[in-house]
Order: sequence, then C-alpha cells, then structure tokens
Amino acid sequence: MEFRPRNYSAENEAHALPRVRAAAHPLSAPPPPLAQVEVVDRGNTNFFDPLRGTDNDSNATSLDHDNMNESVDHQPTKEWTSFRRLLMQRFPVSKMVSVSSMPDVLMRGGKLHDKSSTNMHLEELDDPQKFADEGVKTITWQEYVSRLHELKDEITRSWLAEDRVTSLKLSIKVAKLLMDTSVFEFYPTLFVLVTDIMDMLGNLVWQRIKRKAEFSEDGALCCNLAGIRFKGPVNHSKFFYLELAILPCWRFLLDQPLDSLQRLVMMTRGLGDPVASAYCRLYMAHCAQKLPSHDIGYLVTCVNDLRVILMQILSAKERTDKNVTLDRKLQVSLMEPTIEYIMKCIFNGLSQRQVNEVLSELGLMKNQQDLGSVSCVSIVLHHLLKELPIEVVSSNIVQILRLIEFSKDNSFDQHMNYRLLGFRLYERKSSVDIVNAVIEKVIQVIALYDSLDEYLKVVDAYTDLILQNQKDNHLNTILEGISKRARNKGVTEDEMLSLQSLVVKLLSHFKHLEDVFSLVQFPEIIDVMYGKSQDVVFLHILNMATRNGHISDPTSIQMLFEISQTLHDNIEFMNVKDDDGQVAHSISRFVHMVDYGAEMECHLAFLVDCRGAFGRLNELKETLVHSSNSLAIQALKCAKKHLSFVKSCITFSEVTIPSISAHRQFDLFLETAEVALLGGLVSHLDGLIDSAISCLHILDIIDGYRTPTDVEGLVSSIRKLCGFLIMVPGNFSLPVTYFPNNLFTVVSSQSWFEPKMRTQIFSAIILLLTTLSQKRLPYHANPQIPGNNILYYGDSSYNQELVSLSKPVLENLLSAIQQEPSQAARGIIALEACNCIASSFMLNNELSSVCLTLVETAKSCMSAQDKYLQSTIQLLSKQSPTSVGTMVSISV
Amino acid sequence: MSVELKFSRSNRIYRPSEALEGKIVVKTHSSISHYGIRLTVKGSVNLQVRGGSAGVVESFYGAIKPIPIVNRTIEVKPSGKIGSGTSEIPFSLNLRQRDENLERFYETFHGTDISIQYLATVDISRGYLHKSLSATTEFIVESDKADLLQRPLSPEMVIFYITQDTQRHPLLPEIKSGGFRVTGKISTQCSLSGPINGELTVEASAVPIQTIDLQLFRVESILLGDKIVTETSLVQTTQASDAGFIADGDVCRNLTLPIYVILPRLLTCPTTLAGPFSIEFKVAIVISFQSELSKLHKKSDPKTPRLWLAMETLPLELVRTK
Repeated sequence: MEFRPRNYSAENEAHALPRVRAAAHPLSAPPPPLAQVEVVDRGNTNFFDPLRGTDNDSNATSLDHDNMNESVDHQPTKEWTSFRRLLMQRFPVSKMVSVSSMPDVLMRGGKLHDKSSTNMHLEELDDPQKFADEGVKTITWQEYVSRLHELKDEITRSWLAEDRVTSLKLSIKVAKLLMDTSVFEFYPTLFVLVTDIMDMLGNLVWQRIKRKAEFSEDGALCCNLAGIRFKGPVNHSKFFYLELAILPCWRFLLDQPLDSLQRLVMMTRGLGDPVASAYCRLYMAHCAQKLPSHDIGYLVTCVNDLRVILMQILSAKERTDKNVTLDRKLQVSLMEPTIEYIMKCIFNGLSQRQVNEVLSELGLMKNQQDLGSVSCVSIVLHHLLKELPIEVVSSNIVQILRLIEFSKDNSFDQHMNYRLLGFRLYERKSSVDIVNAVIEKVIQVIALYDSLDEYLKVVDAYTDLILQNQKDNHLNTILEGISKRARNKGVTEDEMLSLQSLVVKLLSHFKHLEDVFSLVQFPEIIDVMYGKSQDVVFLHILNMATRNGHISDPTSIQMLFEISQTLHDNIEFMNVKDDDGQVAHSISRFVHMVDYGAEMECHLAFLVDCRGAFGRLNELKETLVHSSNSLAIQALKCAKKHLSFVKSCITFSEVTIPSISAHRQFDLFLETAEVALLGGLVSHLDGLIDSAISCLHILDIIDGYRTPTDVEGLVSSIRKLCGFLIMVPGNFSLPVTYFPNNLFTVVSSQSWFEPKMRTQIFSAIILLLTTLSQKRLPYHANPQIPGNNILYYGDSSYNQELVSLSKPVLENLLSAIQQEPSQAARGIIALEACNCIASSFMLNNELSSVCLTLVETAKSCMSAQDKYLQSTIQLLSKQSPTSVGTMVSISV
Repeated sequence: MSVELKFSRSNRIYRPSEALEGKIVVKTHSSISHYGIRLTVKGSVNLQVRGGSAGVVESFYGAIKPIPIVNRTIEVKPSGKIGSGTSEIPFSLNLRQRDENLERFYETFHGTDISIQYLATVDISRGYLHKSLSATTEFIVESDKADLLQRPLSPEMVIFYITQDTQRHPLLPEIKSGGFRVTGKISTQCSLSGPINGELTVEASAVPIQTIDLQLFRVESILLGDKIVTETSLVQTTQASDAGFIADGDVCRNLTLPIYVILPRLLTCPTTLAGPFSIEFKVAIVISFQSELSKLHKKSDPKTPRLWLAMETLPLELVRTK
C-alpha cells in the first residue's frame, strides 16, 4: 500500500466554489405576502322569524336572526365560566355543610316522584314540615353536590318527557335552596350549581318557545306564551331566579324586556339577607348579558343598593340578628365577588361620556366644592377603581384620592385602595403633575402607617411611578421608611414578598449596579432580606451585573462573589432546588464576565477561589477551564512571555477537568491541549492528549450519554482530535503512531461505538495517517515547534509505521461498514469510506477491488441516480483511469 | 261515544258583543242519528250566604235565587246523522242580541259568596230510546271594549304609614317599645291586566322583620231582604305568601322597595256595584316581625291580628282597561 501524495493548497483551490454576490441579504425581511381575499361566511340567512310578520325589511330580519342565534347559543360565555371557577376556588368548601333545615328536595327518593298530578299548586313548595325540624343537620358537600347534579338530570329528563310541570316544580325547589345563606362558604358553590340548573332551564324554555314560534301558526304561539306567562311575574324570591332564567324569552312577550329588568332590580331589594340579595343581583347581571342589547342603568342601581346595604352592615354594630349569625367579615367577603362581577359588566366597553354618567349615578361625581362629603364603601370603591378606564382615573385623580381618603371602613383595607391606585396610574403614562401630586399625597398618608406590611404594599405599587418620573427624593424617603420599619419589627414572610417585588423593580429600573448601591438605604434593605426572596433578589443582582460587559472593579467582584456564594450555599443547605439551573448559569456567567485586565495572577487566583467555593456547580467548572484557558492565551499574546503563568493556567485546567462530568472532559482536554500547543508546552501537550483519549474509556460507563446529538458531537470532537494530531510533533521516546494507535485501540475495543461512528473515526484516522506521510503539512500552529514532516524528514521507517497502522484500521473500517444495520446509512458510510480510501491511497488492484465492493454495497443500498454515488464513481475513475475505472464504468 | 266543546280561543275569553265561536267535536264508533244539536249559553250571578255577618236564620236558607244574565239556545244542526269517527261541527252564537239590550254582562268571577259564571252546553238529543249526549264548558266573559272606562287610570296614590301607634290590636312588648315605622304609597285604582303598583320603605324597626306581604281581600256584599250581608275573604288564600311578596327577611332600612303584585285571573273582576250585590276589593300590607311565637302559628287566618303582625288595610278599585 502506498499513500497518495497530495497538494492541499491546489486541491483547495480546485474544489472551492465560485463566489457570487447575492442580491439580497438572506436574513432580510421577506417581501409582503399577497393580500388575502377575505372570505366572509354569512351563515344561514334563509331564516324566517314568525314574530316579525311580513312587513319587515330584509335588513331587520337578518339582524334579528343574529340576535336570536346569539341567545340560542346557550353556551355560557367564557367570562362567566371562568368567573364561576374562580368563585368556587375562592371559597373552598369544608367537608360538611350544616343545613339549618334540610330542604326536602335534597332528600333522596321521597315524594319527588309521586307528583304526577299536574294541578297541584305551587304553594305546596312551602312545606310546613320544614319549620318543624329546628335541629341543624349536616350532610357532606359531595352528597349535596351529587344530589344537585341528579336534580339537574331529572329536570332535563322530565322536561324532555313533556312533563314540564314536574320540571318547573323541581326547578323552583332548587332555586329555593339559595334562600338559605347559613351554609356560609358553601354558598358561592351552591350558587354556581343552582344557577347552572337555572341556565339550563332557561335554555329549555327558550328552545321550546322558539321552536313553537317557528313551526306553528299564531294560535299555538299565543297559547304557548300564555303558558310561560304564569311563570313570569310571580313575586317571590325563589321565583326570581326562574324569572331571570327565562329573561331572554321576554322578548316574545314584550317590546321592552328592559322594563322588567328594572322592576326585578327593585324587587331584589325585598330580599332581606344581604348575601342572598347580592347573589341574586349577580345572577341578574349574568342573565341580562344574554339579552341582545341592554342598558346598564339597572346595574348601577344594583351597585348603589349594594352600597347602601354594606353601609348598614358596617354601621349596625349593636344589631344582632338571630337568623343572620354570619360573621360580618365573612358576609362582606362573600358579597365581594358579586360586586366585582357587576362592576365588570358596567364598565365593559363604555365611552368616556357614559363613564361619567355612571359615576354621577353612583353619586361619586359631585361638584368640586362638596367633595368632602362624598364617601363610598371601600370595597365598592376598590372594584370601581379596578374597572374604571385609566383616562378617567387620571383625569379625576383628585376626587379619587379624596374618595379613598374618606372611605375608611371595615369592608376593605384602605391601603389596598391606595395600592390599586398606584398600579392603575402606572398602566398608562400620566402627566407628571398628576403623578407628583398623587405620590406626594400618598407618601404623606403612609408616613403614618406603623405596619411594615401596609407600608410595603402601598410603596410597592408606587415604586414604578417614582422611578419613571425620577423622583430621587421620594425614592430615598420610601427606602428610609422601609428600613426604619424593618429595623423596628423585623420582616415577616409576607412582607418579604412585597419587599422582593419592590427591590426587583428597583434593580430592573437602573442600568448599572453601582447606581442602585449608591442609594443610601439600599444595602441595608438587602441585608434584612432572607430566604427565597433573598435568592431571587441576589439572582437579579447577579444577572444585572453580568448584563453590561466585563466586571473589573474588585469591590464589585468581591460583593458578587459573596452573593454567589450565598446562592450556592442556599442550594446546598436550604435545600432550595435550582431546577432550571438558573443559579448555576448566572454564577457561571458572572465568572465568565470577570475581567482583571492586566492583573492576570489575580484573575487566576479568583478562578482558584471559585473552584473552592462553588464545588457543586458542574457548569461553572467548565467555565473555569474556559476562563483559565483564555487567560493563558491572553498571557501568550502579551509582549513579554509569561511562560510560567501559562503553565500554571494549564495546570489549573488539567487539575480541574477530571472533576467535571465525563462527557464534557474530552472536549475540555482537547481545548487545553490546543492551548498547550500554542504555548509550546510539549510535555503538557502529550499528557493532555493522553488524558483525552483515555477518558473515552470512562465514557463507556456512562450510559445516559447516548443521545444522537451527543454522539455526533463526540465523533466530531474525535475527528477534530485527528485534525489536531497533524500539528502535534512526535516524541522520540514514543512510537511514531502512538496517539493514532491509541485512539484506534480505544475505539475498536469499546463495543458501544456504533458502526457508523467507527467508520467515521477510522476514516479520520486513515486521513490523518495519509496527511502525516506528506512532505508538506497543510497547516501549522506554532512556528517554533517543528512539524513531523521536518522531524522525520527522509526517515523511511516513519512512513513504514504509518502504513502498517493504516492496514488494520482499513480492515476494521471495512468490517464496520458491513455491521451497519440500517441500509440507507450503510450506503452512505460505504461511499464515505470509498472516498477516503480513494483520496488516501494509490489505488493498486487490491484496493481497487475494495473500492469496487464498497461501490457495489452503496449501489445495493441506494438508487443509482444518487448524486453522491455518481460523484464517487467519477472520483474513482479519475484516480485510477486504468483497470478500476473501466470496471466501475462497466458495472454502471 | 263522546262529545266535547272546543272554543276558537284557547284562553276562552269572549266579550259580550262578540260571537262565541268554536266547534263541537263528536267521537263515535258507529254512525248515530239525532233529533238536532242544540247549544245553550247560560250566564248567571249565583249568590250564597254563609256565616259572615249573616244571622243564623239566613245561613239556613243559604242559597238565594240566582240572578240570570243570559239564557239562549240555538240549534246548530237540525236532525240528521253523524258519521262514525270524529266529526267537528262548527258553531257561532252572538252573546248579546241586538234588540234586547237589557242584560248586563258582569265579568266572570268566582268568590266565596258570589259567583258569576257563564256556561255553554251542547245537547244532542237522540229521542226517547237513547240517552242524549251533552257536554258543558265554562267560558270567560270580559267587558266590552266599548264599555270600558274611557278616562285613563287614575295615577292617584294613597300614602300610608304604619307604626306601633297605628295598630289597633295588641303587639308584642318588644315591638311596642322598640318601635317601627314603615311608609309608602300604593295605587288606589288598578287595572286588572296590570300589577298593583306602589312602593314601601322600612324607615326603622327595632325588631328584625320576617316578611312583608301584600294581601288582597275581596269584599262581597249581598242584599238580603233589607240587610246587607258582607263577607271579606282573602283572595287566593292558598298562594298568599307567594302572590303578595314584598320583602323576605330583615330588609335594608331606608331603601325603597317596589310593590308589584300581579292580580290572579278568575279570582278578581272589576269592582262591581250592582243593586242586589256588590264586589269590592281591598289590600292589606302586613308586616310580620321575627318572633318565636310566629313559628307556632304558621298557618293562621291572615285576617286575625296577631301579636307579631302589624298591618294597614286600604281600599282598591279594580278596573278593566283596554
């Protein structure tokens, strides 16, 4: 066998692709796509509304049709669904529900089934028995809920079975359950379940009426309407829900269904129980959403009524109801969601003018003069503030501040309203004057707060505003306020969260860490933090510090090092999980960004410190190796050679690498070896290459290291090693082919190298050997270190040894190809090997036949038209124009 | 074999100037022959005296001769045959004859002592050998549009106030001493098709309120000899708690509650002042306070004043409007 002599520079030129200037940058924005033709589905328009008669114009019909379908579409709106879920989550149900009198509808069996006679009067529902049992009963809420679900099924079933009287009767009984608010926290859940049934019933009625209206003549329609008439205006609270449920049906009877809404709002006042009446209003708001169009006047009345009721609850201290034993606080909290929802409904899509009208309807927009007398229940104010459009908030800020100031009651904490105002103001950029006025006022107010928690909650909301408007004096004031209160009483867990949010806001506002730390109270505040919040803040500081380029200030480095150490130790001792490796990543980044400039010894010392301090972080150690390597390169670049310093850097890397997980070691050893070669440290170089190859042994043990990318990475690293070995000078104490041979032995002895990997690695070794045999090497690294072509110039045994190693490699290569299980892969690797052989050796008969076999293998695996196959055959015929070329062309 | 009367209107409401229309539905397995199908319309005021302010002797005699309103028979079909299966024979009958304008058609009403009823009866006589087939169905008469009150409903409201001092019956000591004040207004004239309107405000009450109800009473008076026997009874006793609901529970003070009560059909009619009898109505606002005692007497006569009840009774004129 004989190596083919190669002229690398000529080959390079011959194979280089011609370069052409591109018209457009490949990453520039693509041209705008052609305008899409909008396809509008008009839906089914051949609907005839019998109620409209024949005098309608087509436009009105289609409009009405839309409305109809809208209401028919009885799926609850997304908002309502999510609201219901939140409602249930907000008031989790305890295991048992005490029911002061067990409603018979909840009793299983019983007389529910025997009331087939349709002429029974509704008054039966007022079961006199009910009042006989005074004792409190309890049932589990699961039982309660499952019974309600059964009832729902029963109602549907009997409705569909044309037994509508039973269905209605059951519905009334179900609605009656809502009269009892003594179930406390269960009430919202109960409300959700019951209104679900009511909604369903409303839909059934609606469907039926609509069907009737569509398919029968006028007579039947009238009859049917009379049918619902009796269910309509019945004046009792339990019928409220029924009437509300069938609210959409009113449009069949009346021109102005809204009038009935207004009446219902007024009638809700007759419900004495505050909670029951609040939820009744809530359901009303929900049902009215189904109407095609509705005014919000009734909702405003609702809110006003609720406000009056709340005021009375809050003021009436001495009055104790026997029936209403609910804790006042609980009562208010039960009512809160209803206020929230109704407010949302009111302010949904209102114009500015309408908003002002609503506000004056709510009695909150009086003249400037008598502002002092206006006050509101703070919980109502809170939800109003939440929903008010931000323009209105900023234009009426003085009034709002006044309102908050004067609305101080037990229903809601005043400071939370101040807090909300801060958040709302930040939503949109308001004029500086307004913001200043508000901030000054608020700072005055909170200066009187004693509790750190309240102070922090308010301050947190205003931090953004203060920062935005660069009010440094305010910033100092609040920081001082915090540290004063924290000094006095310490910081609790809850307060820590507010503090964390505030500090994070501060940190994200400033660009440079120095600016933050120049705030007088800031370090002190950082010091009082602990636990999870401290970690979060520290992480922020760390990220911030590494955001803006290198860190060279020794004090900053020292501080960040301490912060990192705390974070690291917290992972260790506090059992804090660093799930996404954020801490490790940030610390690594910090270490990476540290730059001592010319003080390279200090830098290396810092790296040594880091290795000692952050023993747990694998990722970091890698960074340490990279850093020390780049430090060595930096030293090499200096005018004066610090050879001993480079040596210590490499030693540091050498010592650090073994403690890193095995699958990263190979690359790191290789990298360090490269640095050693650049520095001319030949003895280190040999040791590093040795370690790199021998760590392939350890890899075997680690089984997790088998993902395709990892494998490909490793193969490419090994090929890189082969490329690197070209520059590595031979050592006379070792055989010439010491490293290639070692690599070959390892790869062929480790069974986990797959055939494809082997082929690639063996090909690389063959190419390496070929290159080493050349008189002129393609590249050099360090001109001071002579290449092998010079070291072994004219040494015939050198060439001999290269050839003798190439023989077993070639054999293994061929057998590896045959072991490849996948056909497609086998074809490609056969071609790869064939190319490698053809470009490495002078093709004698023996090798030609080998190549031919490989081409045959490839042909059996892929189509003859394959470009790779074609070009390989061309190469073969070019390399050996004689025998093989003809053989190949014949076989083709 | 069955016969049935079906009116053209499903609600069976007719006015005196209108024709009573409908069809007679005969179902038979075999064809039958008959001597004519006749339809009779009969309307009358039935009076009865029971207890009330009537003496023992009067109550013995009980029923008083009814006052006839209308009694007319027409032949729908002369004698002939009806085929097997279901046959429908249409009919039409003018309630009020053009020439005789004497009858006054009172509106249908069902009270305790007075009952104004209109019945339509179909008779298919089949000679002496067979039993004649017949069916009777009530229909409802409402005043003619032409006879209705021409002037609009009086918007007049009567203002009332109820305190511990306006009550003529004894109250529980805590109610009496704690005091209460409920004010409001209510319409004095009310359309039968509309609601009773008004409003009410609880201004103060030391004792929590259980319920506030509106009760509708009818006052039926019958001239018996030279005496007038008057009976006051609750309309729709059975549904009292539902129909007249204003408030349930201890309502918020100083919040105006609406009074809105739909009148029950059939059990009410326009306020009628005829010679031999009269039908009038009144409403009572009844406040029931929370008390242990009230639980013991759940189903008591609403007219009886109780220790835990406060009430105010007001006259109400019912009219038929367009």
